Amino acid sequence: MSEPAVRASGLAKGFGEGATRVEVLRGFDVQVESGEMLAVVGPSGVGKSTLLHLLGLLDRPDQGSLELFGTDTGRLTVEERARWRNRHIGFVFQFHALLPEFTLAENAAMPLLIAGVKRREALHRAAGLLEQVGLASRANHFPDQLSGGEQQRGALARALVAGPRLLLADEPTGNLDAANARAVFGLLRQLHLSRQLTSVIVTHNEALAGQCDRILSMARVDVSGRGVRS
Amino acid sequence: MSAVTLLTGRWLLALRRRTHVATVSAISLVAMALGATALVVTLALLEGFQHTIRTQLERGGVHARLVPAQGSELPGGNWLEKLRRRHPDLEMEEVRSTAVWCLSGGSAVPAELEIVSGLHRVEVNRVLAARLGVGPGSELVLASPHLVLTPLGPMPLRRRLEVEVVREGRPGEERGVVRVGEELARVFHGADRRPQAVTLQAKHGRDAWRVASIVQKDVPEGVEVVSFRELNRPLLAALELERVMIAFAVALVMVVAALNLLCNLALVAAEKRADVALLAALGLPPRAIHRLFLSLGAGVGVLGGALGTAVGAVLAGVLDRTRALPLPRGVFVVSHVPFRVEPEAVALVMAVSFGAAVLASLAPARAAARRDVLQGLRYE
Repeated sequence: MSEPAVRASGLAKGFGEGATRVEVLRGFDVQVESGEMLAVVGPSGVGKSTLLHLLGLLDRPDQGSLELFGTDTGRLTVEERARWRNRHIGFVFQFHALLPEFTLAENAAMPLLIAGVKRREALHRAAGLLEQVGLASRANHFPDQLSGGEQQRGALARALVAGPRLLLADEPTGNLDAANARAVFGLLRQLHLSRQLTSVIVTHNEALAGQCDRILSMARVDVSGRGVRS
Repeated sequence: MSAVTLLTGRWLLALRRRTHVATVSAISLVAMALGATALVVTLALLEGFQHTIRTQLERGGVHARLVPAQGSELPGGNWLEKLRRRHPDLEMEEVRSTAVWCLSGGSAVPAELEIVSGLHRVEVNRVLAARLGVGPGSELVLASPHLVLTPLGPMPLRRRLEVEVVREGRPGEERGVVRVGEELARVFHGADRRPQAVTLQAKHGRDAWRVASIVQKDVPEGVEVVSFRELNRPLLAALELERVMIAFAVALVMVVAALNLLCNLALVAAEKRADVALLAALGLPPRAIHRLFLSLGAGVGVLGGALGTAVGAVLAGVLDRTRALPLPRGVFVVSHVPFRVEPEAVALVMAVSFGAAVLASLAPARAAARRDVLQGLRYE
């Protein structure tokens, strides 16, 4: 049996100091199998995004351990974490989909440029991804010339251009109308399957969450400090 | 092309996207360019004046002077004749000088009487001419401060002369000087006295700086060679000090431009907080973010410096060629304000622009690289 893509155990994360400190996660365990698509749902402030940030190596847990594809991420330096994100993790956010000064193709190629791939090669690979998400004809358009749905599809192309193994999406359809949300999520699901990704999707949309392989429902940490999840 | 280079270029030049960053960068760039222009024009002005003064010194002044190592007279012998034969391209004048009073039209001023071998006319410098109000054709009375005994009692020795030439004199010269031929040496100086100095002058003014080193090995013991630099040391030192101090004062404009850049980069870092966080999420390491903001500042410094230097050099060239700033005749040795752009000054201004921009970028770059990625992602 292959090892899980994500293995988090005893994760704890809080914010603030003293009396204003808020414990968002405490003793949190989660495991995501390779190739699995996990939906994370729950009310606002429950720690869904915090969990996603920990899994995406954007933040460090106060306690607990996190292994991604067998790598103990606690030992990685700041620079190594950045490199790890670039090579193995793709992000899709609700906001800040694309950089405004760059064309869609350049936006999609950005992770490759960061990795040091030559511009021509990076743009070529980005063009292939944009074709897959149905935006080949919009490659030279700037973000302000694209609709919200197109921007989010462009962000999806960018997240996948470097060939990551783990896709993390934080409310990827939160800013879209129902039709666009369905289209973007359908595309996300299709690419997840075709590229054999491991995906963790934070969403408020239960209908879309229902299309995932598994749903992780998070609740607030109670006074005893334990979160409720199913 | 790396991501940092691409980001730097696009953030600097994305004016067509009308982004705040590009506008702010453009303002910093203009400030830097104005500073560079001011510095280049000022340095060109200083160099213009100094070049004129140096040229005047080289053309009209003494290029080296042979003086006695001890005592007030040069050693005897035929060493000077040998020196003349060995260096026929150098003009050598024996100088015997003494203090005199010059009288004209009821005015009396102290002056130095230089007795020059081979000179057959009476010359006064501009200083003396101005003080006495004399010119070519005017009469002048020289009076020795030493008294001679006459049947009427002790009287100063006097000679009436006609001024033939008014010499320009050396820049910075403050004393009055009368130059006459050897016939007056007998009267004022004593016929048998040896010269107190020998002045040397090269045919071409540009050789002035090396005359001393050329003759150094050929002068006998007891004779000291005073170089062109030594002869003009106070003036040259004052000119250099003036250049450094004024350049430093004007360079403060660059400091102001650099502070403006610092503020603007801090604004850019705040404006681009979300984008920087996104780039960090995509894997841009903190070191690269630091480099990105340094590149932004350096880009503004290089572009602004180059633009300002080019504008300054062209402006200085036009002002000089068109003689746009005339000076009153007779007051200054030049007819217009001279500008002269030296390659060293251009390189200096470029280096100052670049250095100031990079220094100004350090703090914003450090802050941007250390900023919390998550706060940036939450920032909407």
